[in-house]
Amino acid sequence: MSGTMTPAAPPAPRAARIGSRLVRSDVPFQKGHTNFVRRRDRRGAWFVAPFLVVFFLFLVIPLGYAIYESLYTSKLVGGTSFSGFANYSTTLHSGPFWAGFLRVCIFAAIQIPVMLAISFFFATMFDLGVARFGRFWRTVFFIPFAVPSVVGTVMWAFLLDPAAGPFTKLVHDLGFHNSNFFSSSLIVPTIILIAIWEWTGYNMMILYTALRAVPREVVEAAVMDGASLSRIVLRVKLPLVRPAMVMLVFLNVIGALQLFTEPLLLSNFQPQAISDAFTPTFYIYNTGIGGGQYDLAAAAAVILAVLIIIISVASLLFRRGQGDRAQ
Amino acid sequence: MTRAIVLEGPLSAREKRAARREVRRQEDAIGQVPLRLYGLKKGTVNFITVLCALFAMFTIAPIVWILINSTKNQANIFQSFGFWFARPFELFHNFGNLFQDVEGDGIYTQWLANTAIYAVLGGVGSTILSTLAGYGFARFSFRGVKATFALVISALLVPITAISLPLYLVYAKIGLINSLWGMVLPSLVSPVGVYLMRTFIRGSVPRELLDAARIDGAGEIKIFFRVVLPLIVPGMMTVLLISVVGVWNNFFLPLIIFTKENLYPLTVGIANWANRAVSGGDANVFPLILMGCVVTIIPLIVLFIVLQRYWKSGMLFGSITG
Repeated sequence: MSGTMTPAAPPAPRAARIGSRLVRSDVPFQKGHTNFVRRRDRRGAWFVAPFLVVFFLFLVIPLGYAIYESLYTSKLVGGTSFSGFANYSTTLHSGPFWAGFLRVCIFAAIQIPVMLAISFFFATMFDLGVARFGRFWRTVFFIPFAVPSVVGTVMWAFLLDPAAGPFTKLVHDLGFHNSNFFSSSLIVPTIILIAIWEWTGYNMMILYTALRAVPREVVEAAVMDGASLSRIVLRVKLPLVRPAMVMLVFLNVIGALQLFTEPLLLSNFQPQAISDAFTPTFYIYNTGIGGGQYDLAAAAAVILAVLIIIISVASLLFRRGQGDRAQ
Repeated sequence: MTRAIVLEGPLSAREKRAARREVRRQEDAIGQVPLRLYGLKKGTVNFITVLCALFAMFTIAPIVWILINSTKNQANIFQSFGFWFARPFELFHNFGNLFQDVEGDGIYTQWLANTAIYAVLGGVGSTILSTLAGYGFARFSFRGVKATFALVISALLVPITAISLPLYLVYAKIGLINSLWGMVLPSLVSPVGVYLMRTFIRGSVPRELLDAARIDGAGEIKIFFRVVLPLIVPGMMTVLLISVVGVWNNFFLPLIIFTKENLYPLTVGIANWANRAVSGGDANVFPLILMGCVVTIIPLIVLFIVLQRYWKSGMLFGSITG
């Protein structure tokens, strides 16, 4: 009797153990589970660690060092000494720095709305399937994203060259004589044109993807209610892709305020139209790398970073506020 | 072993079915709501198509121009009609010159090789780091995970200038000016990549799947390689594409950290040539600049065509917007 009972006894605890760990949610299960989860989550930190190491070494620490450096002034005679906010004061009182900052603000205020309007228009047309050969156009529009801005600017510099550029000749033949795309009055519009060429396809692609994600039922319902095409686009689709739009405004503002490559390349072709402080990044480059005043350049870089953070966060909050009111 | 097969088998099939369904759904969605329902006239369709063609001309004009003019000699670049060919046809001559003889040392070959090395090391490295970090942020909740992620994302706000100049200052102290690693290591930091991978993993790697693998006794590393990795290859390809293009096109950082010409990437080299060509002196350097530009953009355009489905499906561009 006992011989038959004994073998039967062990399976019971084993079943209970499995049950408690995996199926039933009694007390031992929860205790074991939280330990298990906690141990596993701590291991998750190891996946993030390699990135964080590089992130700190090559982003956080250099930024900290730049802030430190910006508080000192080194002189040829007398070495380096602590100077508090002197470098910041110099930059903030520098006329050229603010003129450059104003210039990139104007650049952003024109380039971004125009580009986003073109992007949204074409994205909508492709999404609705209004244009023929939509897939082909999408690919073509996206090509400039693969072209480095250095190469893009060199190409446009040749095309718009005052003496020999084919586009200059074209504009001349159309009756606009003496038009010089690189003159001081036209240089900003020229850079706007180049930037629109470079970035429209990318922005269009993101908007197109966001528009595709709008559920078909929403559009169908609007069609059934007799809404016109323009109404569907502006009142149904546009509000639904607002998050994408906000993100693009944000990214484009950050990009536009650090405008550098295009003016640098164009300054080769027409040095007199582009000053040493044409944009804030230009100012930083020419002060630091060109002029050797690293402390001053570091201060200017910190100021530019702060300005960009303020503007982008403010635009984000403003947009969000608008969105709330709309609802 | 058996367990792994049991685990992968039905899943990959389900994945395949889901992928096929997704493709079909997208194909169907092409003509989402039939156009006639909008009450559109045929004229409107034609008009929009013409607008597309016009914008496409604007987009493609510089590229057509540079392809045509890379076949000309210096005099013809300035004198002949810009959008058609001119004799003599110098394409092969220019192409050959590009790789052997500018200052007698074939510096362009060096730049091309440098760019490829920086882009491959930086692109592959940042994709690996972004994938690991994205997985950590998406599927674990260790202490401080939210704060850390917020810190990483806030780095998006910091302008490249404000990072590059500090890097230069630090490099000057520790001797990384004119060093390959000075270029590659900062390229590994890609907050966008981390963000994209986190979003992608959240959408494509179910928690239940990971828990099932854990219950089966798989270790975290094994789970990552055997369960997670096969599911996120499309996301990784997109991040790879974005980061390779980012390094290939990077200009400001190499401009300030390299003072030796033989370390330049293509972007800085071409800018340098353009500078010298315009400020006079160098005869016959314009055909080389144009040819150099063509050779710079061709690998990227090929890469985009080969990896077309990763950006065209909008897989991750969509998640940027999420």
